[in-house]
Amino acid sequence: MSDAADSPRRRSVGFLLRFVALLVVFYLIVASGPVNDAVIVPFTAGIASVSAVVLNAFGEGVEVRGTEIRSSSFGVNIENGCNGVETALLFGAAVLAFPASWKRRLLGLGAGFLAIQVLNLFRVVTLFWIGLHRPALFNSSHTVIWQSVVVLFGVLLFLLWASRQRRLSPEAAPAGRERPRRS
Amino acid sequence: MLTKRAALRGVVGFLLALAFWFGFSRTYERVVAGGAQAITNLFESPDVTRLRSEGTHVVVDRRDFPPGSARPGLPAPDIHFNFVLLGALFAMDPRPLRGAHVVRFFAACGVLFGIHVLALVFQVQSVYATNLGAWSEAHYGKIASNFWAAGWHFYLIAGRFAAPFALWWLFGRREEEDSLEKPKRRRRKS
Repeated sequence: MSDAADSPRRRSVGFLLRFVALLVVFYLIVASGPVNDAVIVPFTAGIASVSAVVLNAFGEGVEVRGTEIRSSSFGVNIENGCNGVETALLFGAAVLAFPASWKRRLLGLGAGFLAIQVLNLFRVVTLFWIGLHRPALFNSSHTVIWQSVVVLFGVLLFLLWASRQRRLSPEAAPAGRERPRRS
Repeated sequence: MLTKRAALRGVVGFLLALAFWFGFSRTYERVVAGGAQAITNLFESPDVTRLRSEGTHVVVDRRDFPPGSARPGLPAPDIHFNFVLLGALFAMDPRPLRGAHVVRFFAACGVLFGIHVLALVFQVQSVYATNLGAWSEAHYGKIASNFWAAGWHFYLIAGRFAAPFALWWLFGRREEEDSLEKPKRRRRKS
Protein backbone atom coordinates (compact mmCIF):
# COMPACT_ATOMS: atom_id res chain seq x y z
CA MET A 1 0.00 0.00 0.00
CA SER A 2 1.31 3.48 -0.80
CA ASP A 3 2.14 6.05 1.87
CA ALA A 4 -0.67 8.28 0.64
CA ALA A 5 -3.17 5.45 0.85
CA ASP A 6 -2.14 4.77 4.43
CA SER A 7 -2.24 8.43 5.49
CA PRO A 8 -3.87 9.47 8.78
CA ARG A 9 -6.56 11.30 6.81
CA ARG A 10 -7.47 8.14 4.94
CA ARG A 11 -7.56 6.09 8.14
CA SER A 12 -9.67 8.80 9.74
CA VAL A 13 -12.21 8.70 6.91
CA GLY A 14 -12.09 4.89 7.00
CA PHE A 15 -12.99 4.99 10.70
CA LEU A 16 -15.89 7.32 9.97
CA LEU A 17 -17.25 5.09 7.20
CA ARG A 18 -17.04 2.00 9.42
CA PHE A 19 -18.70 3.97 12.24
CA VAL A 20 -21.63 5.07 10.05
CA ALA A 21 -22.06 1.58 8.55
CA LEU A 22 -22.09 -0.03 12.01
CA LEU A 23 -24.52 2.59 13.30
CA VAL A 24 -26.95 1.83 10.46
CA VAL A 25 -26.65 -1.93 11.12
CA PHE A 26 -27.21 -1.44 14.88
CA TYR A 27 -30.17 0.83 14.17
CA LEU A 28 -31.77 -1.76 11.88
CA ILE A 29 -31.30 -4.40 14.59
CA VAL A 30 -32.79 -2.42 17.49
CA ALA A 31 -35.58 -0.92 15.36
CA SER A 32 -36.78 -4.32 14.15
CA GLY A 33 -40.03 -5.40 15.80
CA PRO A 34 -38.86 -8.71 17.34
CA VAL A 35 -35.70 -7.21 18.89
CA ASN A 36 -37.64 -4.20 20.14
CA ASP A 37 -40.28 -6.42 21.77
CA ALA A 38 -37.94 -9.10 23.14
CA VAL A 39 -34.96 -6.97 24.23
CA ILE A 40 -35.48 -3.20 24.18
CA VAL A 41 -38.90 -3.03 25.86
CA PRO A 42 -38.00 -5.43 28.73
CA PHE A 43 -34.67 -3.62 29.15
CA THR A 44 -36.48 -0.28 29.33
CA ALA A 45 -38.95 -1.75 31.84
CA GLY A 46 -35.90 -2.82 33.90
CA ILE A 47 -34.64 0.78 33.87
CA ALA A 48 -38.08 1.94 35.04
CA SER A 49 -38.04 -0.60 37.89
CA VAL A 50 -34.54 0.33 39.10
CA SER A 51 -35.40 4.05 38.83
CA ALA A 52 -38.52 3.45 40.93
CA VAL A 53 -36.45 1.70 43.60
CA VAL A 54 -34.15 4.73 43.77
CA LEU A 55 -37.06 7.21 43.78
CA ASN A 56 -38.85 5.27 46.53
CA ALA A 57 -35.65 5.22 48.57
CA PHE A 58 -35.93 9.02 48.52
CA GLY A 59 -39.54 8.81 49.63
CA GLU A 60 -41.24 9.78 46.35
CA GLY A 61 -43.78 6.93 46.52
CA VAL A 62 -43.87 5.85 42.86
CA GLU A 63 -45.28 2.83 41.06
CA VAL A 64 -44.08 1.11 37.90
CA ARG A 65 -46.23 -0.32 35.14
CA GLY A 66 -44.12 -1.65 32.28
CA THR A 67 -41.99 1.26 31.09
CA GLU A 68 -44.06 3.85 32.96
CA ILE A 69 -43.19 5.41 36.33
CA ARG A 70 -46.08 7.11 38.06
CA SER A 71 -46.73 8.92 41.32
CA SER A 72 -50.01 10.43 42.51
CA SER A 73 -49.34 13.69 40.65
CA PHE A 74 -46.82 12.97 37.87
CA GLY A 75 -45.87 10.21 35.46
CA VAL A 76 -43.34 9.49 32.73
CA ASN A 77 -43.13 6.79 30.11
CA ILE A 78 -39.54 5.83 29.25
CA GLU A 79 -39.36 5.50 25.47
CA ASN A 80 -36.65 4.80 22.93
CA GLY A 81 -34.30 7.74 23.05
CA CYS A 82 -34.63 7.91 26.85
CA ASN A 83 -33.29 4.47 27.75
CA GLY A 84 -29.60 5.12 27.01
CA VAL A 85 -29.67 2.65 24.13
CA GLU A 86 -29.08 5.37 21.51
CA THR A 87 -25.91 6.52 23.28
CA ALA A 88 -24.83 2.90 23.70
CA LEU A 89 -25.30 2.39 19.93
CA LEU A 90 -23.15 5.42 19.20
CA PHE A 91 -20.47 4.31 21.66
CA GLY A 92 -20.57 0.69 20.42
CA ALA A 93 -20.28 1.69 16.75
CA ALA A 94 -17.31 3.96 17.52
CA VAL A 95 -15.49 1.33 19.63
CA LEU A 96 -15.99 -1.41 17.04
CA ALA A 97 -14.94 0.89 14.19
CA PHE A 98 -11.72 1.85 15.97
CA PRO A 99 -8.61 -0.27 15.34
CA ALA A 100 -7.93 -2.25 18.54
CA SER A 101 -7.74 -5.85 19.66
CA TRP A 102 -11.03 -7.66 20.21
CA LYS A 103 -10.25 -8.12 23.91
CA ARG A 104 -9.87 -4.35 24.41
CA ARG A 105 -12.96 -3.67 22.34
CA LEU A 106 -15.08 -6.06 24.43
CA LEU A 107 -13.73 -4.61 27.68
CA GLY A 108 -14.47 -1.10 26.40
CA LEU A 109 -17.97 -2.06 25.30
CA GLY A 110 -18.82 -3.66 28.65
CA ALA A 111 -17.44 -0.86 30.82
CA GLY A 112 -18.83 1.86 28.56
CA PHE A 113 -22.31 0.37 28.41
CA LEU A 114 -22.37 0.09 32.20
CA ALA A 115 -21.17 3.68 32.70
CA ILE A 116 -23.72 5.03 30.19
CA GLN A 117 -26.54 3.16 31.91
CA VAL A 118 -25.52 4.41 35.36
CA LEU A 119 -25.59 8.00 34.08
CA ASN A 120 -28.90 7.37 32.30
CA LEU A 121 -30.40 5.99 35.50
CA PHE A 122 -29.36 9.20 37.26
CA ARG A 123 -30.96 11.11 34.37
CA VAL A 124 -34.30 9.28 34.64
CA VAL A 125 -34.41 9.76 38.41
CA THR A 126 -33.56 13.49 38.24
CA LEU A 127 -36.00 14.08 35.36
CA PHE A 128 -38.80 12.48 37.36
CA TRP A 129 -37.88 14.63 40.33
CA ILE A 130 -37.83 17.77 38.11
CA GLY A 131 -41.20 16.82 36.59
CA LEU A 132 -42.65 16.36 40.05
CA HIS A 133 -41.19 19.42 41.78
CA ARG A 134 -40.17 21.83 38.96
CA PRO A 135 -42.52 20.99 36.06
CA ALA A 136 -41.72 24.23 34.19
CA LEU A 137 -38.15 22.99 33.69
CA PHE A 138 -39.08 19.48 32.57
CA ASN A 139 -39.22 19.93 28.77
CA SER A 140 -35.92 21.70 28.32
CA SER A 141 -34.20 19.42 30.84
CA HIS A 142 -35.58 16.34 29.10
CA THR A 143 -34.96 17.17 25.44
CA VAL A 144 -31.96 19.43 25.39
CA ILE A 145 -29.88 19.27 28.53
CA TRP A 146 -29.96 15.67 29.70
CA GLN A 147 -30.00 14.12 26.23
CA SER A 148 -26.97 16.19 25.23
CA VAL A 149 -25.18 15.39 28.48
CA VAL A 150 -25.64 11.62 28.09
CA VAL A 151 -24.50 11.64 24.45
CA LEU A 152 -21.54 13.89 25.24
CA PHE A 153 -20.64 11.52 28.06
CA GLY A 154 -20.72 8.61 25.57
CA VAL A 155 -18.44 10.48 23.16
CA LEU A 156 -16.00 11.40 25.96
CA LEU A 157 -15.96 7.77 27.10
CA PHE A 158 -15.07 6.69 23.58
CA LEU A 159 -12.27 9.28 23.35
CA LEU A 160 -10.92 8.16 26.72
CA TRP A 161 -10.98 4.54 25.61
CA ALA A 162 -9.41 5.40 22.24
CA SER A 163 -6.60 7.40 23.85
CA ARG A 164 -5.88 4.44 26.15
CA GLN A 165 -5.51 2.19 23.11
CA ARG A 166 -2.60 4.28 21.95
CA ARG A 167 -0.95 4.24 25.36
CA LEU A 168 -1.49 0.51 25.86
CA SER A 169 -0.24 -0.46 22.40
CA PRO A 170 3.54 -1.00 22.87
CA GLU A 171 4.13 -1.39 19.16
CA ALA A 172 2.35 1.73 17.94
CA ALA A 173 4.69 3.82 15.83
CA PRO A 174 5.60 7.24 17.26
CA ALA A 175 3.40 9.98 15.86
CA GLY A 176 4.52 11.27 12.49
CA ARG A 177 7.24 8.68 11.96
CA GLU A 178 7.42 5.81 9.53
CA ARG A 179 8.90 2.54 10.63
CA PRO A 180 11.76 1.39 8.46
CA ARG A 181 10.62 -1.41 6.20
CA ARG A 182 12.55 -4.59 5.85
CA SER A 183 12.92 -5.99 2.42
CA MET B 1 -5.80 12.47 23.36
CA LEU B 2 -8.54 13.16 25.90
CA THR B 3 -7.14 15.07 28.85
CA LYS B 4 -8.80 16.61 31.90
CA ARG B 5 -8.27 20.08 30.41
CA ALA B 6 -9.90 19.03 27.13
CA ALA B 7 -12.87 17.60 29.02
CA LEU B 8 -13.14 20.83 31.04
CA ARG B 9 -13.03 22.92 27.84
CA GLY B 10 -15.77 20.61 26.49
CA VAL B 11 -17.97 21.31 29.53
CA VAL B 12 -17.44 25.08 29.19
CA GLY B 13 -18.18 24.81 25.45
CA PHE B 14 -21.31 22.83 26.25
CA LEU B 15 -22.58 25.54 28.59
CA LEU B 16 -21.79 28.34 26.12
CA ALA B 17 -23.41 26.46 23.23
CA LEU B 18 -26.44 25.75 25.42
CA ALA B 19 -26.82 29.46 26.26
CA PHE B 20 -26.45 30.35 22.56
CA TRP B 21 -28.98 27.68 21.59
CA PHE B 22 -31.55 28.93 24.12
CA GLY B 23 -31.05 32.48 22.84
CA PHE B 24 -31.26 31.87 19.12
CA SER B 25 -33.15 28.60 18.56
CA ARG B 26 -36.47 30.31 17.69
CA THR B 27 -34.79 32.45 15.01
CA TYR B 28 -32.88 29.43 13.73
CA GLU B 29 -36.08 27.37 13.48
CA ARG B 30 -37.56 29.93 11.10
CA VAL B 31 -34.53 29.59 8.80
CA VAL B 32 -34.61 25.78 8.95
CA ALA B 33 -38.37 25.77 8.28
CA GLY B 34 -37.82 28.06 5.26
CA GLY B 35 -35.14 25.75 3.84
CA ALA B 36 -37.24 22.62 4.38
CA GLN B 37 -40.27 24.29 2.81
CA ALA B 38 -38.24 25.27 -0.28
CA ILE B 39 -37.00 21.68 -0.74
CA THR B 40 -40.45 20.18 -0.14
CA ASN B 41 -42.01 22.62 -2.64
CA LEU B 42 -39.49 21.55 -5.29
CA PHE B 43 -41.16 18.13 -5.44
CA GLU B 44 -44.77 19.36 -5.25
CA SER B 45 -47.05 20.47 -8.02
CA PRO B 46 -48.68 22.75 -7.08
CA ASP B 47 -46.43 23.70 -4.16
CA VAL B 48 -48.84 23.53 -1.23
CA THR B 49 -46.65 22.96 1.84
CA ARG B 50 -46.11 25.92 4.13
CA LEU B 51 -43.94 25.50 7.22
CA ARG B 52 -43.94 28.11 9.93
CA SER B 53 -42.19 28.25 13.28
CA GLU B 54 -44.58 28.75 16.20
CA GLY B 55 -43.27 28.57 19.75
CA THR B 56 -41.22 25.41 20.01
CA HIS B 57 -43.00 23.76 17.07
CA VAL B 58 -42.87 23.85 13.29
CA VAL B 59 -46.46 23.93 12.08
CA VAL B 60 -47.27 22.15 8.82
CA ASP B 61 -49.86 24.22 6.98
CA ARG B 62 -50.78 22.80 3.58
CA ARG B 63 -52.83 25.14 1.42
CA ASP B 64 -55.12 22.23 0.53
CA PHE B 65 -55.95 21.36 4.16
CA PRO B 66 -59.64 22.04 4.87
CA PRO B 67 -60.08 25.44 6.53
CA GLY B 68 -60.43 25.09 10.29
CA SER B 69 -58.82 21.63 10.43
CA ALA B 70 -56.00 20.99 12.89
CA ARG B 71 -52.47 21.64 11.63
CA PRO B 72 -49.76 19.16 12.68
CA GLY B 73 -47.14 20.72 14.97
CA LEU B 74 -43.68 19.15 14.97
CA PRO B 75 -41.43 19.63 18.01
CA ALA B 76 -38.49 21.59 16.65
CA PRO B 77 -35.82 21.14 19.38
CA ASP B 78 -35.65 17.41 18.55
CA ILE B 79 -34.13 18.37 15.22
CA HIS B 80 -31.49 20.92 16.09
CA PHE B 81 -30.49 20.69 19.76
CA ASN B 82 -27.47 18.64 18.63
CA PHE B 83 -25.78 21.97 17.86
CA VAL B 84 -24.95 22.00 21.58
CA LEU B 85 -22.99 18.75 21.17
CA LEU B 86 -21.09 20.14 18.18
CA GLY B 87 -20.14 23.24 20.18
CA ALA B 88 -18.93 21.14 23.12
CA LEU B 89 -16.82 18.87 20.92
CA PHE B 90 -15.17 21.74 19.04
CA ALA B 91 -14.43 23.49 22.36
CA MET B 92 -12.22 20.55 23.43
CA ASP B 93 -9.45 21.66 21.05
CA PRO B 94 -6.30 22.89 22.87
CA ARG B 95 -6.76 26.27 21.12
CA PRO B 96 -10.47 26.48 20.36
CA LEU B 97 -10.40 30.16 19.34
CA ARG B 98 -7.58 29.73 16.79
CA GLY B 99 -8.66 31.17 13.42
CA ALA B 100 -8.47 27.95 11.39
CA HIS B 101 -10.34 26.01 14.06
CA VAL B 102 -13.13 28.61 14.18
CA VAL B 103 -13.40 28.45 10.37
CA ARG B 104 -13.71 24.65 10.55
CA PHE B 105 -16.35 25.04 13.27
CA PHE B 106 -18.40 27.32 11.01
CA ALA B 107 -17.98 24.86 8.13
CA ALA B 108 -19.28 22.06 10.38
CA CYS B 109 -22.18 24.32 11.46
CA GLY B 110 -23.01 24.85 7.77
CA VAL B 111 -23.17 21.10 7.14
CA LEU B 112 -25.20 20.61 10.32
CA PHE B 113 -27.67 23.24 9.08
CA GLY B 114 -28.09 21.18 5.88
CA ILE B 115 -28.68 18.08 8.00
CA HIS B 116 -31.34 19.93 10.05
CA VAL B 117 -33.14 21.04 6.88
CA LEU B 118 -33.09 17.49 5.49
CA ALA B 119 -34.25 16.07 8.83
CA LEU B 120 -37.25 18.43 8.80
CA VAL B 121 -38.03 17.42 5.21
CA PHE B 122 -38.01 13.78 6.34
CA GLN B 123 -40.19 14.60 9.35
CA VAL B 124 -42.77 16.44 7.23
CA GLN B 125 -42.84 13.68 4.61
CA SER B 126 -43.13 11.11 7.41
CA VAL B 127 -46.21 12.94 8.72
CA TYR B 128 -47.68 13.09 5.20
CA ALA B 129 -46.95 9.39 4.60
CA THR B 130 -48.15 7.91 7.88
CA ASN B 131 -50.30 10.32 9.91
CA LEU B 132 -53.04 11.54 7.58
CA GLY B 133 -55.12 8.37 7.31
CA ALA B 134 -56.79 7.75 3.96
CA TRP B 135 -54.99 10.73 2.37
CA SER B 136 -51.61 9.16 3.28
CA GLU B 137 -52.63 5.80 1.81
CA ALA B 138 -53.84 7.44 -1.38
CA HIS B 139 -50.67 9.47 -1.95
CA TYR B 140 -47.86 7.28 -0.57
CA GLY B 141 -47.09 3.66 -1.43
CA LYS B 142 -45.73 1.20 1.11
CA ILE B 143 -42.10 1.67 0.07
CA ALA B 144 -42.36 5.46 0.12
CA SER B 145 -44.05 5.41 3.55
CA ASN B 146 -41.35 3.17 4.99
CA PHE B 147 -38.57 5.24 3.42
CA TRP B 148 -39.72 8.55 4.94
CA ALA B 149 -40.77 7.08 8.30
CA ALA B 150 -37.59 5.01 8.72
CA GLY B 151 -35.42 7.94 7.63
CA TRP B 152 -36.97 10.19 10.27
CA HIS B 153 -36.83 7.45 12.93
CA PHE B 154 -33.15 6.82 12.16
CA TYR B 155 -32.45 10.51 12.65
CA LEU B 156 -34.32 10.47 15.99
CA ILE B 157 -32.62 7.36 17.37
CA ALA B 158 -29.10 7.59 15.97
CA GLY B 159 -28.55 10.27 13.34
CA ARG B 160 -29.02 13.38 15.43
CA PHE B 161 -26.45 12.17 17.95
CA ALA B 162 -24.01 10.77 15.40
CA ALA B 163 -24.04 13.87 13.16
CA PRO B 164 -22.16 16.24 15.53
CA PHE B 165 -19.64 13.52 16.38
CA ALA B 166 -19.02 12.71 12.69
CA LEU B 167 -18.71 16.41 11.78
CA TRP B 168 -16.29 17.04 14.62
CA TRP B 169 -14.30 13.96 13.60
CA LEU B 170 -14.06 15.27 10.03
CA PHE B 171 -13.61 18.99 10.66
CA GLY B 172 -12.44 19.60 14.19
CA ARG B 173 -10.35 16.75 15.55
CA ARG B 174 -6.57 17.08 15.46
CA GLU B 175 -4.88 15.18 18.22
CA GLU B 176 -6.26 11.70 17.78
CA GLU B 177 -5.17 11.25 14.15
CA ASP B 178 -2.15 9.16 14.98
CA SER B 179 -4.06 6.93 17.41
CA LEU B 180 -5.79 5.36 14.41
CA GLU B 181 -2.71 3.26 13.73
CA LYS B 182 -3.68 -0.31 13.14
CA PRO B 183 -2.56 -2.54 16.03
CA LYS B 184 0.56 -4.28 14.80
CA ARG B 185 1.36 -7.88 15.57
CA ARG B 186 4.59 -8.67 17.36
CA ARG B 187 6.97 -10.34 14.99
CA ARG B 188 8.49 -13.57 16.19
CA LYS B 189 12.17 -14.16 15.73
CA SER B 190 12.87 -17.37 13.92
